[in-house]
Amino acid sequence: MTSVFAVVKRLLASNRLSFIITALVVLCATSSGDTVLSNGNYTWLLAVLSPFFIVFYDFPKLMRLGASKRDYFLGCLISYGFLAFCISLVNSLVHLAVDPAYPAQTVINMMDVCGWTENGIAIAGIQQMCFLLLVMVFLHVLLSMQAHWYGWLTDAALAAIICVFTPVAPLRSVLSGFFRVIMLNGSALPHIGVCLLLSAALALAGLAVLKRKTL
Amino acid sequence: MIELNEVTKRYGHSTVLKNITLSIGEPGIYCLLGRNGAGKTTLLKSIAGYQNITSGTIRVCGRKITTSTLDTGVSYIENFARHFNLPVRKLLRIASEVSPDYDCGFAGEMMDRFELEGKKKFSQLSLGMKTMVSTIICLASGRDVILLDEPVLGFDAIMRVEFYDMLAESFQKHPRIIIVSTHIIEEIAKTIQKLIIIDRGSIRFSGTLKSLETKAFCVSGLQGDVEAATRGLNVLGRDTAGGLMTSYIFDRPPEPAGSLEVRPMSLQDFFIQMVGHRGGALR
Repeated sequence: MTSVFAVVKRLLASNRLSFIITALVVLCATSSGDTVLSNGNYTWLLAVLSPFFIVFYDFPKLMRLGASKRDYFLGCLISYGFLAFCISLVNSLVHLAVDPAYPAQTVINMMDVCGWTENGIAIAGIQQMCFLLLVMVFLHVLLSMQAHWYGWLTDAALAAIICVFTPVAPLRSVLSGFFRVIMLNGSALPHIGVCLLLSAALALAGLAVLKRKTL
Repeated sequence: MIELNEVTKRYGHSTVLKNITLSIGEPGIYCLLGRNGAGKTTLLKSIAGYQNITSGTIRVCGRKITTSTLDTGVSYIENFARHFNLPVRKLLRIASEVSPDYDCGFAGEMMDRFELEGKKKFSQLSLGMKTMVSTIICLASGRDVILLDEPVLGFDAIMRVEFYDMLAESFQKHPRIIIVSTHIIEEIAKTIQKLIIIDRGSIRFSGTLKSLETKAFCVSGLQGDVEAATRGLNVLGRDTAGGLMTSYIFDRPPEPAGSLEVRPMSLQDFFIQMVGHRGGALR
């Protein structure tokens, strides 16, 4: 396991740029009016940026340093889990400590929008963490596939689903139903279960992609 | 330990490796020789599991090697490999952390010998130094199979000598299969024990340097005498100039006769003859 943790350490360390960008956005973002966006929402940016660095920058370099694909795969999962935990923790703290500092305004935090805070802040934090894990694993798999024809096919399929499902009412309800299950879901246990199951399924798909990855 | 069975690799319509069957069982320093585009890098990358072959099988220590192999047990380094832009010492430390059997002592010793500045970032190193860092990482990895693809590219003469010493020391410390591909043939001859020659995707020769010493000869003299002396022998090639001839043979040495001069063939000449040099008046 030492080598896996060495990979985790390197993945997190070389993700410095994502941390800086996210921190700048979180600290500098401002909004005006009666309804404002919580700055904690911007911590989600880290979940979007990290897979880019991990897939495109870290993979070839770690391989050249002698890491195995197995260690890289496990390292990625642990890193995403850790990042999801940290993002969730920071956003929860912002929601608890910073958001109430705007008494005259309505502060929108995604944890409220998704209905997670109905279950208390601790459970909401766990729900958020599972959702962010799903987002990062999904992005990781999608980005890993970009070097192959099936990556482009998946991009096209996703674009087609959004383009076709959005304007057609019955299909739109399917799409919104899907997002209600994975994101806008106030029922903690089903939400956590679905996110973890989908993350596991995507991780397996990611393993299959990794096994085909060349250098 | 390395078994290649009918290995073929195609890129579109071009066949880079043609039905290669090769077995490398004993630990040793092997030199992989081949012209540009002969298939050396493709062969090494395939053994390392960096890319898939079109057909056939590759096994390393009994383990089938494809890109699906999550831990190949092979350490491969290509020339101009790019690493994290970190100080050299940190880079070597990370390498030691991700490779369970990494030889920190060897890596540190080599760092001192090559006067690598531990605080200098990888991007600030010269081309030769970058290659040296990659080579140290590869040799210190503690893996059973080490593949070095053109490691001396960018080295000056002194660094090359130091590199060959390092290779020999590393092997002495940890005997295993080390395959080095290079174009600088004569220099590496003192370090290697075995030779593999690849040409146009096929293995042309695989054997020990000792077999070359006992079987590879240049026979020079008058054309008629040389032809008579080498009749029935395995002649690899011939050069003729003004009634004189040099025959390159891989066989028992011919019987001495009047105008004949028989001398051992250099590794470079052997390679040139094996990969199909046609000969000519200027040589």
